[in-house]
Amino acid sequence: MEVISTKNLKKEYKGSGFSKERITALKNFSFTVNEGDIFGLLGPNGAGKTTLVKILLGIVYPTEGDASIFGESIKNEKYKTKIGYLPENHKFPNYLTGEQVLHYFGMLSGLSNAQVKSRSDEYLKIVDMEKWKKTKIKKYSKGMMQRLGIAQAMINEPDLIFLDEPTDGVDPIGRKEIRDILIGLKDKGKTIFLNSHLLSEIELICNKVAILNKGELIKEGTIDEITSTGNKHVFTTSDLSDDVINILLNQYFATLHGKNEFIVNSDSAESLNTVIDILRKNNVNILSLTKEKNTLENMFINLIEQQN
Amino acid sequence: MIFKTIISGVIKEAIAKKIFIGFFILSTLIILGFLAFVGFDSVEGIATMAGDDIKQLVIGFEGFMLGVSYLLLITFCLIGVSSIIPSMLEKGNVDLLLSKPVSRGQIILGKFTGGLLLIFLSLVYLIGAVWLIVSIKFGYWNPTFLMSIIMLTFSFAVIYSLVIFIGITTQSSVLSIIINIFLIFLICPLLANRETVLFQFITNNVVQFIINFFYYVLPKPSDLQTITVKIISGEKIDSWQPVVTSALFLITFLSASIYIFKKKDY
Repeated sequence: MEVISTKNLKKEYKGSGFSKERITALKNFSFTVNEGDIFGLLGPNGAGKTTLVKILLGIVYPTEGDASIFGESIKNEKYKTKIGYLPENHKFPNYLTGEQVLHYFGMLSGLSNAQVKSRSDEYLKIVDMEKWKKTKIKKYSKGMMQRLGIAQAMINEPDLIFLDEPTDGVDPIGRKEIRDILIGLKDKGKTIFLNSHLLSEIELICNKVAILNKGELIKEGTIDEITSTGNKHVFTTSDLSDDVINILLNQYFATLHGKNEFIVNSDSAESLNTVIDILRKNNVNILSLTKEKNTLENMFINLIEQQN
Repeated sequence: MIFKTIISGVIKEAIAKKIFIGFFILSTLIILGFLAFVGFDSVEGIATMAGDDIKQLVIGFEGFMLGVSYLLLITFCLIGVSSIIPSMLEKGNVDLLLSKPVSRGQIILGKFTGGLLLIFLSLVYLIGAVWLIVSIKFGYWNPTFLMSIIMLTFSFAVIYSLVIFIGITTQSSVLSIIINIFLIFLICPLLANRETVLFQFITNNVVQFIINFFYYVLPKPSDLQTITVKIISGEKIDSWQPVVTSALFLITFLSASIYIFKKKDY
């Protein structure tokens, strides 16, 4: 089931001052997010990521195109009862305690007083903030604020959660805990839309990603699809003899990395097995065989550099 | 329920900013001071001498307190509510608010109602206490004095609609305070007395027409104040025009604020 769907979304902003120039933040952006996905949105600063999220949340209006969430147009505010949102650099009223923040935003999400009371303890416990619930948030650290922000985004038990830089300012242990929370939410069937600069984190959590640059969608797919380098297979073996090396170079156009590692471009299981047969026939031990993958970070940097 | 949450949010914010606590403390000091004042022997003597004119004495005290309340209202409450909209529009705050299932119109109306409720309760405390003291002390109960709570709240609602409009369009609380003080203490009193003051120097019909136009378009705190005094003293009200035109000003600026807020990207 499609949870988010956009069609030819376009957003133009007015230039500064009296300038008639229009700044295009999004160009004909179409994409979908399915139920249960942890979807990562990547892009350099000014790529249009925040604009896209804000359009989906009804904070910014599109110049052209349309978007729907849970099959309903974003023009209708009803869908907002089923979503949670953690903005980047969120500002909660600093005179409230953690518990009061959840109460205030829970009530604004349309929950009853009793629902908020019963859920706030539960979610504060999930984000490990239970013991700070009576403390005014002006005393909270950045990491504590992020945890509270996540609890706030979950308080109405939404089916779709938008998180903008959720691990910003959080230490590595806290990041791991947040990742675990997000994976737990995915296991419950929730859909998560993640906007983060931390590519390694996106790679660890997300199953689908989209890369935006200058307002355009330049790549979309699963992590495997995006980081895949084609059909390159990396063999790690015992020492290769000169004869075997010659066969690999001349017949299979292999790329050698020393005497124990080579890469073969193989588009079928059959040809891959032929290479294995040759190695085995020549008493070469195969220590490992993996499909070559690029890191998300390398892929992202290459893509953006090509575009620019 | 959501609307109620926005209203209670405004009240909590105002209390946290301590402006209204200042108003409350000052009101309490005024009430205590007034209590001490009416207990003075000289005041007791005046009350005894007044005899049948006790009504006029009570209305005099009440009229004086109305002026004090009005000044307090303008200084404390204007400062207290001027930051409500700019702080709501801060990045990281407005995004979160707009992501909730609440319409933009409801947000503005909630902020407006919350501010007004706060002013109303503050005035109930100050004017209600003064009314009780005067009435018990002099034995003359003038319930129309309590109407000044409604009239002062209405006067403030008119000003508050402009505060919200300036907040939405400029996101500046300082500008909002400056413009309102300028209007309330300079422009509006001048326009209210245009025939006795301005038209003595300005005889050109076109300029007089323009001045009259601004008089009718802008809020009329001075005229509303005069009407309130007349209500307290039981005098006949010559014209309700200042109330009607001020109400139109309120509706226009509040509607314009909602319209702009609905159209804007944040």
